[in-house]
Amino acid sequence: MLEIKNVSKTYGDGSARVVALKDISMHVEDGGFLAITGPSGSGKSTLLNVIGGLEHASSGEVILDGTRIDNLSENDLVDIRRRKVAYVFQQYHLIPSLTALENVLLPLTFGGPVKADEKRAVEILQKVGLEKRVKHKPSQLSGGEQQRVAIARALVNGCSLILADEPTGNVDQKTGMEIMNLFRQANEDGHTIIMVTHSPDIARRAKRIVTLRDGEMVNEAEQEKCERPYEKEGKVR
Amino acid sequence: MRLLQVVAKDTLRRRRRALYTALGVAIGVAAVVAVLTVARSGEQRIYSEIDKYGPNMTVTPAINDVDLKLGDLRLGSLAVGENYIAEDKLPEIRQIADGAIRNALGIQDNGDIATIAPKLYMNTIVNGTSIMVVGFDPEQEQIIKSWWEISRGRYPEQQNEAMLGTRASSILGVDPGDSIAINGQNVTIVGILGETGSQDDYQIFAPLKTVQQAFGKEGLISSMDIRALCSACPVESIADSINKTIPGVRAVAVKQIAETEMNLVAKINRFMLALAGITLVVGGFGVVNTMMASVHERIKDIGIMKAVGASRKQIVRMFIYEAIAVGMVGGLIGYIAGTLLSYVLGPLIFDGLAVSYAPQYLLPALGLAILVTIVASVYPALRASHIRVADSLRSL
Repeated sequence: MLEIKNVSKTYGDGSARVVALKDISMHVEDGGFLAITGPSGSGKSTLLNVIGGLEHASSGEVILDGTRIDNLSENDLVDIRRRKVAYVFQQYHLIPSLTALENVLLPLTFGGPVKADEKRAVEILQKVGLEKRVKHKPSQLSGGEQQRVAIARALVNGCSLILADEPTGNVDQKTGMEIMNLFRQANEDGHTIIMVTHSPDIARRAKRIVTLRDGEMVNEAEQEKCERPYEKEGKVR
Repeated sequence: MRLLQVVAKDTLRRRRRALYTALGVAIGVAAVVAVLTVARSGEQRIYSEIDKYGPNMTVTPAINDVDLKLGDLRLGSLAVGENYIAEDKLPEIRQIADGAIRNALGIQDNGDIATIAPKLYMNTIVNGTSIMVVGFDPEQEQIIKSWWEISRGRYPEQQNEAMLGTRASSILGVDPGDSIAINGQNVTIVGILGETGSQDDYQIFAPLKTVQQAFGKEGLISSMDIRALCSACPVESIADSINKTIPGVRAVAVKQIAETEMNLVAKINRFMLALAGITLVVGGFGVVNTMMASVHERIKDIGIMKAVGASRKQIVRMFIYEAIAVGMVGGLIGYIAGTLLSYVLGPLIFDGLAVSYAPQYLLPALGLAILVTIVASVYPALRASHIRVADSLRSL
């Protein structure tokens, strides 16, 4: 379970002081699927960065499975990244010199908890529908395909928490829906997902939506009947 | 997939930059290899030239010059002692010289090692002209005076055959085929020695036995030149033991000349190596520079790797792997370039020197290049390992 307690984040000092996050508190259950939404500059990406240990909070705590992760040293973060938290970025961030398969293998190469296992990487690539693109380099893949590789990479070493920052921000709407399907599927497989998006359409596919404005939580909605992307697939096409 | 493969793929993708880095090291390594290769061949050349400069040692009768004085008035000097060495001391001297060389080089063979050329100098008058006749051992003398060339006729072989220095030939007006009398003993001139620029040009060379008989000096010689086979032979200690063991003779080593020359060569070598070392250091800074650029270029990739679980140690290790690869390529290129360079430089430094290929410098060249690239990569690698994921992936 992820707990966020009174997290604030400010940049700069004096008159240049910018408040990015104001006293945010929430918790995300294991197996949750949370969308953080809000206009540009609302602090949603900052919140995600703080949760993922990429930025330190000015005050407050982030507790993952009972341990504080907001104040960890670089070395301890390595461990968290190998075992618990994986990222999916808007810009995909694949290594250009490596094939799709090798990009997926990368977390295992750096010593994830699972032994570097090509079979597993291939399976996961199949799961995201890229079994025919295994040997392709990122430059030979479309944006949607690259994001699928990035998702496969996030899934490969079984991290329980997946943080995704605008994962559909660089792809067209149809591809965005397909990407969302993959996240839904991963969520059904037991991964907790926290996703930042500015698109209400995308956010609606999460189980829960948190809206930020000027660094403050303005709305939290539990989606009783979340839209099933699988059911909508036919209509989209 | 292993870390090494990730590095290999990444380095191959940026092979042009990697090659530039390698070339930076290669230049320094090439300079070192060229200097060492030229120096090695040059040293051999100098040794063989020194070897050509005749004897390592001269043995003469032990004569003490005693100054005769009357008050402040010098009356000249008087030579005290024998003017000749008994020929039967030759085996003793050979025993000492060969024994010392055997010890020094660990030779088991019992044959003669040192070349010993006995000579008897006599003044005589031929065709009304006063001239020096040298009784010599044609075989041994030819080994010591390797620069001797016969300009006309041939080298003496028989007891009644003699050879003239080129000046002696023109002064006496004697040519090959002519016969002359040395103190009443007739000999046939069979050859004229090419010009040497030394006193040899003014002398008559006849076999030792013939000269001894002509002057009634059987069993006597004036001096002997000794040449060891090697430049590393313990000439001084041989001279010392001859002086201590054999009375009536004085052995003088002429090795000092050789040593002075070798010292000079060693100094030049050190100077050139220092220059090569500076080149290598400059190359090393080039590596730091390109490695820093490569870190900069890959900030994003490094951020990605850290985001998916790479530790600082792993990032540093990746840079070191790359450094080793670059060092190997640079070392190999440097070795080849240095060897080629030595073929060009060798003949320029030592006139017409034929540089011999030096495969023993390949491994040190590779080692040196790898060492330089690793040292030069440490700082960039540490910098890379400190890159923060959030900073490198700005778009997050």
